[in-house]
Amino acid sequence: MVLDVKSLVDADAGLISRRIFIEDDIYQAELERIFARCWLFLCHETQIPEPGDFITTYMGEDSVLVMRDSSGKIGAFLNVCPHRGNRLCRADNGNASAFICAYHGWAFGNNGNLQGVPNLQDAYYNDLDRSKWGLVPVAQLDTYKGLVFATFDKDAPSLMHYLGEMAWYLDSFFDRREGGVEVIGGVHRWIIPCNWKLPAENFGGDAYHVAWNHLSALTSGFTQAPAARQTPGGGTLSPGNGHCILAVGAEDYSSAPTQIIQEYEESIRAETLSRLGPRLEKITPNVGTLFPHMSFLRGSSRSFRVWHPKGPDKIEVISCQFVDRAAPQEVKDALRVTGLRAFGPSGVLEQDDMDNWEECTRTNRGAVTRRYALNYQMGLGHDRFDEELGAWASDFKLSDSNPRYFYQRWASLMQADSWEQVWPG
Amino acid sequence: MNDGTLREVEQFLYREARLLDSRRFSEWLDLFSEDVRYWMPTRSNRYPVNSKAISILDASQYEEEEVSGEDELAFMEETKETLEGRVARLDTGMAWAEDPPSRTRHIITNIEVEAEGSRDQMRVYSNFVMYRNRGEVDQDFYVGSREDILRREGGQLRISSRKIVLDQNVLLAKNISNFF
Repeated sequence: MVLDVKSLVDADAGLISRRIFIEDDIYQAELERIFARCWLFLCHETQIPEPGDFITTYMGEDSVLVMRDSSGKIGAFLNVCPHRGNRLCRADNGNASAFICAYHGWAFGNNGNLQGVPNLQDAYYNDLDRSKWGLVPVAQLDTYKGLVFATFDKDAPSLMHYLGEMAWYLDSFFDRREGGVEVIGGVHRWIIPCNWKLPAENFGGDAYHVAWNHLSALTSGFTQAPAARQTPGGGTLSPGNGHCILAVGAEDYSSAPTQIIQEYEESIRAETLSRLGPRLEKITPNVGTLFPHMSFLRGSSRSFRVWHPKGPDKIEVISCQFVDRAAPQEVKDALRVTGLRAFGPSGVLEQDDMDNWEECTRTNRGAVTRRYALNYQMGLGHDRFDEELGAWASDFKLSDSNPRYFYQRWASLMQADSWEQVWPG
Repeated sequence: MNDGTLREVEQFLYREARLLDSRRFSEWLDLFSEDVRYWMPTRSNRYPVNSKAISILDASQYEEEEVSGEDELAFMEETKETLEGRVARLDTGMAWAEDPPSRTRHIITNIEVEAEGSRDQMRVYSNFVMYRNRGEVDQDFYVGSREDILRREGGQLRISSRKIVLDQNVLLAKNISNFF
């Protein structure tokens, strides 16, 4: 299909068409041009620590099986039996040397190889080349600071190129201390009837909604919501390639709602400063979105999540909590409980977000409503490239600067027939 | 367990459901002891250890349990104080997920009462169907089981522990903004 992307995203004017949040042909193009192309987050290494450990997830709408083979190497494959297309692994996670399809019994090793085919001799006359019928692997897989990513596009730039300057911002969440982070057991998974881009852009820098939409969580003691503070400093940061960060002021580095977490943040301040460098004396990265749809935050909750698309008006969220591996157990416990009370399906902040995203999606079903572009004009012309931060930075904390870069990147990918046309961002 | 106690527990749980469905949340909070642990773990899909769908690499290490553990992520892990905070939030006029409010109906069934430690405590099992209707056409069914410790405090029954196990892996509702 040929999409007139220019009519959908006008970042210079701060106007975005509502059609991109509801129309199925645009969504189908996204599956091809965004999700089958970009580097997508799969899991954290600590979720599959041992040989044979596996976890199932999605890349776009493709079911994916991520596993450590028996030698400890991580691989990722379509979680689909190549024979008749049955979903191969139906568990969320576990440990296995082999997976056996429930339909006809084809068996695959934890390295994706087709190991066994029932009746290979008598029914296939031993004439099936098993080396050609293994699980379909991702085109590229790489890890960064324990975060496992993959892409189905062999022509995609390397992961480090794709992350670019965002790598340092990931460090500020996932590598603040020696040993990095670990994922707390258990996962939040839930369905939201909304378009995937709404939560992605919200976590990508919407400080504007915090002070109003989340005021009830502030006044009832569940968060200190530094993004809503009137303290100076901070801003929306676009380190390139569509990635987005919302930073609060440097002095707001300790903002958790409980004393034990605040004291912990004070106690590791010197270590994180020496590890991450002088940028942290200027800003505190608070929440962000790695293009296209992985978001993370540290504040009321330490969470990373992926907004898996399930159609133009539906997502499945897979959300985990992470903690510094070197943190004392009582700090990890405190982070777990304060985190789930703020973010996740019952989180007193997040439950209000979900209502907004749902309604912002549903209203676009109206043909007349859809004619009117959405307003992304806040702070238009008031951002500049900050050499020290390596990012386009808004002059003020409240700004639509990040979503303008996010949708520019989206438009660029949707138009381009190859990565050369996209690159460099 | 004698019939009188059974009836008392049933009536207690039915009254609790009525308080929730009529949004009398501060009266509902009075039914919990000060030291209550209110816990709603998550579920996951796992192959049982005898499944032939996988060849388990190390069966002695294999974890079959599919309900999240006490030190893992839960849908809710609350104290009396945080339950009070959740109720206080509802009274701010800015708790958007409940504004306009949900219409809920808690159906409580399969009540079993067992002795628990001292004479003043009981372990109570129950099942629930919680129907939620909201806005114009939104509806959700939350179905599961509860395991409570009920304690007699100065003649009053109070819930000192509640474990809520929802029969869903991926939560099919967009949020959990009500109580169970």
